[in-house]
Amino acid sequence: MPAPLAAGRPPRRAGRLAALGRVDRRWIFLLVGASVALPLLRPLHLPIGTSREARAYHAEVERLQPGDEMIFSFDYEPDTMAELDPMSLATLRHAFSRGVRVIALTNYAGGPGIALRILGQAASEHERQYGRDYVFLGYNPDYSATMLRMGESIRSTFPTDHFGTPSAELPLLREVDRYADIELLVTVTASALAEYWVIWAGGRFGQRIVAGNTAIQAVLIYPYYQTGQLAGFLGGLKGAAEYERLIGRDGAGVRGMDAQSVAHLLIVCFIVLGNIGYFAQRRSARAAGDAARDGEA
Amino acid sequence: MAEELGILVGALLTLAIFSLLYRDNPFYRAAEHLLVGVSAGYYVVHYFYAAVIRKFTVPVFQQGEWWLLPGGLLGLLIFFRLRPRTAWLSRYAIAFYVAAWSGYLIPSVLQERVLTQIAGTIPDPAAAAPWALAMSLLVLVGVASILVYFYFSAAHTGALGRISRVGILFLMAGFGASFGYTVMGRVSLLIGRFQYLFEDLPRALGRL
Repeated sequence: MPAPLAAGRPPRRAGRLAALGRVDRRWIFLLVGASVALPLLRPLHLPIGTSREARAYHAEVERLQPGDEMIFSFDYEPDTMAELDPMSLATLRHAFSRGVRVIALTNYAGGPGIALRILGQAASEHERQYGRDYVFLGYNPDYSATMLRMGESIRSTFPTDHFGTPSAELPLLREVDRYADIELLVTVTASALAEYWVIWAGGRFGQRIVAGNTAIQAVLIYPYYQTGQLAGFLGGLKGAAEYERLIGRDGAGVRGMDAQSVAHLLIVCFIVLGNIGYFAQRRSARAAGDAARDGEA
Repeated sequence: MAEELGILVGALLTLAIFSLLYRDNPFYRAAEHLLVGVSAGYYVVHYFYAAVIRKFTVPVFQQGEWWLLPGGLLGLLIFFRLRPRTAWLSRYAIAFYVAAWSGYLIPSVLQERVLTQIAGTIPDPAAAAPWALAMSLLVLVGVASILVYFYFSAAHTGALGRISRVGILFLMAGFGASFGYTVMGRVSLLIGRFQYLFEDLPRALGRL
């Protein structure tokens, strides 16, 4: 009786491929680091298309008229600045360039520092005056209560602004006091707060809302855009880059997209190679098991 | 000068955190402990000021809004949890909070997260363009088949099994999209740090 067809010996090629599954992870870190660093140092200028959601977000700001009011909520903290700062800056530049007045706030205790920096930058670029063209109300504990109460009175929700000035003394807040006076609400958020703005400001008061989200949150936000509960949204650094392109002013979002694309390509390669290594390892292990059984027989 | 020094310290701490990618070391530990300590200090002070001082002490004792006092006292009951013999008192505060917010939340959440979303899965042939209608039908098939997959009161065999397998395909597509976005989010954070090191730091050093 002929011997089984060399069932026991793992093929040499499979053994080599199996090594892919045992690569020291530090090589992977190094390659990912290089894939991000090199395009930042030597930009490739890869094309950036715009999505329907980003165009809808842009259109919502674009339709505002000079003198209209926008609520802008900085609903994030320093851990997600890299993704969300470009969106915030681009939106405020767009709003200020159109003469839109901005009522800013944050629902995060770590948000005021970010808000002051970005508001200050965008306002100084367009020579906007604090109190008349924009205000910063600061942080208020309990976001749900804040969102609900703002529908009745912004001044009573925030009796003073971030700097302690009574809200009633701020020219902008003397003219507007509730969602009904506001044309658009923008939330840039790293959490589920966009959903809460939809529930409280959108559902209860009919406020028109657009959202900028981290990439991780974007998947959860699509259903609200599909139903029209959000009029538009931006997802992650890609969304920020798209918006920068739409307003014709490139910033950190566009600058980061080459690195993003190269890193994604590299990660796709890792996934393919990792799977090849996994199947090769499995094949080697199965062949070794067969060999051991043949030996016992 | 202070801003430039701050950026320099931030860059050094970034490198200290990155050093963990090679292996654990004292620089990484120091940076990690500093982050935890500074964050804890910042948030305790900020929450105390925003909630207790700004929302309670100032309105009640300086502006005479005495009607806020019962709410403040109710909140203080939470601290009775720290002593087992008086822990039962904290339940009044929790009961009030849960009851009040349930009343607010349940109808609104049901409307916006459930009913409106259900309505969104049903295509409107009169309003939609052919392509949009096809996409709406796809959403409808996806939602229905996923709901079948999560129906556990009957064995997933026959037609039920085939529909639930379609549901698995939609779930896998959803997980894949979620994974892709997660990768994008994580790479974005790395890009943010590198932009800090390559753009902000040289600018700050140039100004020093």
